[in-house]
Order: sequence, then structure tokens, then C-alpha cells
Amino acid sequence: MNKGSGLQQGLGLALRLGTELVAATMIGVLMGYAIDHFFNTRPWGILTGVLFGGAAGCLRVYRTAMAMPVDEDNNNGDQTPKGEGL
Amino acid sequence: MKESPLHHFELHPLVHLNLMGIDISLNKGIFIMWVGLALVFGMFMLIGIKGVRLVPTKLQSVTEMLLLFLRGLVDDFIGKEERKFFPFVASLFFFILSCNVIGLFPGSYTLTSQLVVTGTFAVFIFLMTLFIGFGRHGLRFFGILLPSGIPKILIPLMIPIEIISMLARPFSLAVRLFANMTAGHTILAVLFGMVLSLPWFLGVLPFGFTVLINGLELMVAFIQAYIFTTLTCFYIGDVIKMH
Repeated sequence: MNKGSGLQQGLGLALRLGTELVAATMIGVLMGYAIDHFFNTRPWGILTGVLFGGAAGCLRVYRTAMAMPVDEDNNNGDQTPKGEGL
Repeated sequence: MKESPLHHFELHPLVHLNLMGIDISLNKGIFIMWVGLALVFGMFMLIGIKGVRLVPTKLQSVTEMLLLFLRGLVDDFIGKEERKFFPFVASLFFFILSCNVIGLFPGSYTLTSQLVVTGTFAVFIFLMTLFIGFGRHGLRFFGILLPSGIPKILIPLMIPIEIISMLARPFSLAVRLFANMTAGHTILAVLFGMVLSLPWFLGVLPFGFTVLINGLELMVAFIQAYIFTTLTCFYIGDVIKMH
């Protein structure tokens, strides 16, 4: 596991980004759909749900990307990712 | 040989059991889960019975390396004084890893390709983080929905976004593991289907690919177990530290 863990951590971070965006958008859509279903507000719940979900997805991707370790001009030699999106 | 590439994900009850009207029939996935548990348990028991040596055996040194690595994760993300989460994180890692790797053997079953299994893990972890958060911080835990340093005018906009972002955590955790395992095994099944349906001089090409993809899948099995545990550590650490 320690061998090539730089590659592994890089791949781990890269593979994470795609699902972050999709997951948040899906949750937004589901919540919007639920609101529509229970309060009879079709189609406004799902519309705002998509928007908020997309915004949350972008936020998550942004936070994940900002937490990625940068190789060049990072002279503290700290390779551990300091966390990712909320 | 007309078989769907998704056919091998189907589960059928092997042993029919019924407990007071609830169907608890055993299927292949459950047996494979027991094999995975027995494998992890057996590995640690073997090391324990042999005795921990100063000059480690191969098995012992690999296990020590993995455990030190996991302890590093716990120290980094949760904190050195919170080592009590280490057993949970290590068990989670080894169980997911064994399930992923067992699935690569022909004829066995990939338990982590069932959304029910990964979803149960993710929902359990999510509820655990909520319990830890409310236990440590009380009602101040709601402050996690407000990122520090945002203008007041954005607060009504940020709270729904943060709630969605919070709920997306277990969802993405579950879907990521499930999707990666399912996709890899579907590719393998499609390639094997090509091998069987093509004449032999063309069939060697997809067969070569299956060998390569098997190697890739072994790496994916490790990486996905690693991602799942890293994110678990991160989520636990996040609710303890509250940003």
C-alpha cells in the first residue's frame, strides 16, 4: 500500500471528483421531487432542487479540488491530502 | 452462449429460510460475506497465534504496514487523541478490501457490487457522524451548516446548499464503491462474452484485455477500499473538529 501511494492518492482524488458532482445533484433532485410530491408544487420544487443540487455539487468539487496536494512549489513536503469537500 | 453481461450480479436464494414471516433466505452474497469475514479474522488470528515477532514474517509485515498506514489516516484526519476510532476504521478497510478482492476470483461474487451493502455502510457511517457530532457539540452542531466567513445576505442561500452537500456524503460514498465494482465486473463480463462469441483468432484480442483489466481491477479494489476509509475518517474528523 505504501508503495506508489503518491499515484494511489492521486488516482483516489481524481476518481472522487466525478461522483461528488453527480451525487449532490441527485440529492437535490430527489429533495425537490419529494417537496413536489408532498406539497403539490410541481414543477417548482424539482426546478429549485436541480439548481441547489448543482450548486452544492460544484461547491463539493471545488472544495475537493482545493484540498488536493500540489506537487510543484509545495516545499513543506506534506503529501497527505488535507481533506476534501464537505 | 447468449447471456447478459449483468447476469452474474443477480442473486438467487440458495437456502430458503423463514423467520416469523420474514424471508431471511441465504444467497451467494451472504456466503461470500462470511468467507470475507473469515478471511480477515483468520489472517489476524494466524498472526496472533504465531506470535508477533521482532523479525516479522511476510504476512505480519504486510499487515503491520497496512495498519500503520491506517493509523496514519486516523491521526491525520481525526486526530492523535481520537485513536479509539482506529479499530472501526481498520475493520471497515479490511472487510471492504476482502470483499472487493474475493470478487475477482472466478465463480465467486462481488458483495460490494450490491448497492444495498454499500448503502448500509454509508448510512451507518452517516448516522454515526451525526451521533458523534450532536454528542460532542450539542445544538452547536447545527453550525456545521454555516461555513465560516460568508456574507449575511448569502445565508438563506447557503443553508439549503450545505444541507444537500451534507446529505450527498453518504450517497456519494455508497454509489462510488458500488459503481466502480459493478462497472469493472461488467467490462470483464462483456470482454469474456466477446471471447466466447468470436472465432479464436479474433478472440485472443479481448482475452488479452481481460487479463489487463483484471490487473486494473485489483488496483481498483485497493483504491476503492482506501477511498472509502479515507472519506470515513474525514467525515468523522470533520464533525469532531467542526471545520
